[in-house]
Amino acid sequence: MILDDRARSAPTRSPFRHYSDGLLGELIFPLIAVLAAFVVGGVMVLVVGDDPIQTYRLLLGSALSWPDGIGYTLFYATPLIFTGLAVLVAFRGGLLNIGAEGQLYVAAFATAWAGITFANLSAWALLPLCFLAAILAGAVWGAIPGVLKARFGSHEVITTIMLNFVAVALVGYFTQYHYKAPGDPIMQTTMIGGGAHIARLGRFIPGFPERIPLNLSFVFALIACLLVHLFLWRTTWGYEIRATGSNPQAAEYGGISIRKQMVLAMAVSGALAGMVGINEVLGYRYRHYDGFSANYGFTGIAVALLGRNHPVGVLFAAMLFGMMIRGGIFVDAFTNNVTKDLVDVLQGIVILFVAAEALFRGPFASHRLLKRSKI
Amino acid sequence: MDRFTLFLRAVLLCVLVPAGTACHRQRDSADDPSRIHVGIVFDIGGKDDRSFNAAAFAGVTCAETGKWPKGDTCGKPALEIVLRDIEPGNPTSIEPAMRAFAERGYDLIIGVGFAQAPIVETVAKDYPRIHFAIVDGVSELPNVASLIFKEHEGSYLVGLVAARTSRTGIIGFLGGMDIGLIHRFEKGYEEGARSVNPNIRVIQNYVGVTDAAWNNPGKGKELALAQIGKGADVIFTAAGNSGLGAFDAVEQAGRVNGRATHFVIGVDSNQNMVKPGFVLTSMVKRVDNAVYAIVQDVVNGKFQAGIHVYGLGQDGVGYSMDQYNKDLMAPETVREAEDAKKKIIAGQITVTDAMAK
Repeated sequence: MILDDRARSAPTRSPFRHYSDGLLGELIFPLIAVLAAFVVGGVMVLVVGDDPIQTYRLLLGSALSWPDGIGYTLFYATPLIFTGLAVLVAFRGGLLNIGAEGQLYVAAFATAWAGITFANLSAWALLPLCFLAAILAGAVWGAIPGVLKARFGSHEVITTIMLNFVAVALVGYFTQYHYKAPGDPIMQTTMIGGGAHIARLGRFIPGFPERIPLNLSFVFALIACLLVHLFLWRTTWGYEIRATGSNPQAAEYGGISIRKQMVLAMAVSGALAGMVGINEVLGYRYRHYDGFSANYGFTGIAVALLGRNHPVGVLFAAMLFGMMIRGGIFVDAFTNNVTKDLVDVLQGIVILFVAAEALFRGPFASHRLLKRSKI
Repeated sequence: MDRFTLFLRAVLLCVLVPAGTACHRQRDSADDPSRIHVGIVFDIGGKDDRSFNAAAFAGVTCAETGKWPKGDTCGKPALEIVLRDIEPGNPTSIEPAMRAFAERGYDLIIGVGFAQAPIVETVAKDYPRIHFAIVDGVSELPNVASLIFKEHEGSYLVGLVAARTSRTGIIGFLGGMDIGLIHRFEKGYEEGARSVNPNIRVIQNYVGVTDAAWNNPGKGKELALAQIGKGADVIFTAAGNSGLGAFDAVEQAGRVNGRATHFVIGVDSNQNMVKPGFVLTSMVKRVDNAVYAIVQDVVNGKFQAGIHVYGLGQDGVGYSMDQYNKDLMAPETVREAEDAKKKIIAGQITVTDAMAK
């Protein structure tokens, strides 16, 4: 409010003016959407016969308790940061990557493949190899729709969706018939070499038990946010991707090869999605487990949307979704009537409200904060 | 103040005011620490699969209330427990679900289905003071009870019944996921059928090789129809939710003179009432008995880790007879099955266990 008044009395002089307009304008709709979703969700909880306040306390309390709550929330957020960034990069390049799910499957399997095939190498050789496998596999699987679009004009929404099915089936086949321990009833590969395990954060943080699977991948995810930001806004390639995304004709007129940019954006997007394999295989299960992805690729779309296609937004959105995944399990278990479907409903409403931003924008269009934010 | 800030304040008010009052709320009876807390994590099929998970749900419900989930008495006393259950829905939620119970200090955590065995093992290592039970899986940890069943013995009996009932001399077997556990059903079924008709033909199909194979009634129906097309007139399903597709298939085959032409044999729970008149019998796996027993053990402080085997002798497996199928099975077939049952219990007939090495 103070900020508000000062800005009003001396609009040009306030040092916070630009900051508040930009950041607040960006944050306000996602925040309203989340709050509104919780209000609607609360009504639903009432309808099914539970206490909404208790339910939300359970949801948030279990998601933010130390150490298990925080640990698992961040652990669940990690793959969503990667997939959110993946969708973001493609989106900035004017492409809709629905194929993060397939890209992360192929990458996770490739990671496990490298970890199994070269199991005897030392950690110094094996770890980079596994990283490379994850990133390259994701990038290649992502680049395919990019090439198809650049070369033949096939729509990336169709090709990425279809490649998801191919990826899941292909990986399932190799897991079942070539990389499974004989007689194992569970669809999973054998274990990767010990050198490829990456440390859990419990090793570095006192009082944080190592049984919580939060691992260094989370740190990598934070670094990835920074790198994506630098890549998109500080490099020529990033500039060209954004230019292609915002106006392909103008970009081409300006001398940018938009075909090259399509392939590049999709490859980077796929590589980011592929990094989920690092968290899953090297940091958590130490093997490829068929069906490990709880729709991370698709949730990534929602994360990017809620994060307004900005790396920082993606980070926060992924954490919010991580909280809901973690809390959803407790809501499911420890309330009488509410199941974790409530959390799916909440996510759905959040997305609906973010997408239907005009719903909020309309009545408040005259407000100062919103005039200048062009999103 | 403009409309926008007003709106924001209203939203905040709605959210924050009730949140403050909630702090004084009393804890409900579910948190009563004197009672034994039991958490159960179902398999992908969910507790309404009318089959394996449903049997486990019936067992814990009986322990909690002394009644079956439908409300009639289960013939056993209620055990004064606090019961919470989770249906994970996808394989990634199983471990977090189990850990949720463990973090809350539950006394007994039950994992349903072989796929949860490695997960139970991991979680049980982290919480050595909590009792765990795994249905259909084996663990050697000192705080895990492994509840396993001699499915081959029960399958032998329904195989015998199938062979006696079949008019074409061809019977079908519809498995869910192609794994050792289900081969055990298949082998016993085949042996039982051959014991009364050495020339019988058994057509067998599996729905798939992944977890999804338990939850694909559409494909189950397709496979059952294909078996019917090849002449099979009795089909034994061991496919969780997918098996319900075979029920649709035999119903579609229809009736002649009021009697169904093709029959299905249910599995795990008594499924005779799912499609009355079309279900010859069900190979019941008394997961409910096993689960009730383990809850009772914990309540009485007599929990024992290790393998608990439930065969014909322990009333752990069997075939179901009720008002829905009493007219479908010939009395001499029932006599023959009872006879075989006695011989198996006495050790005069040994049924091959496909999982034994």
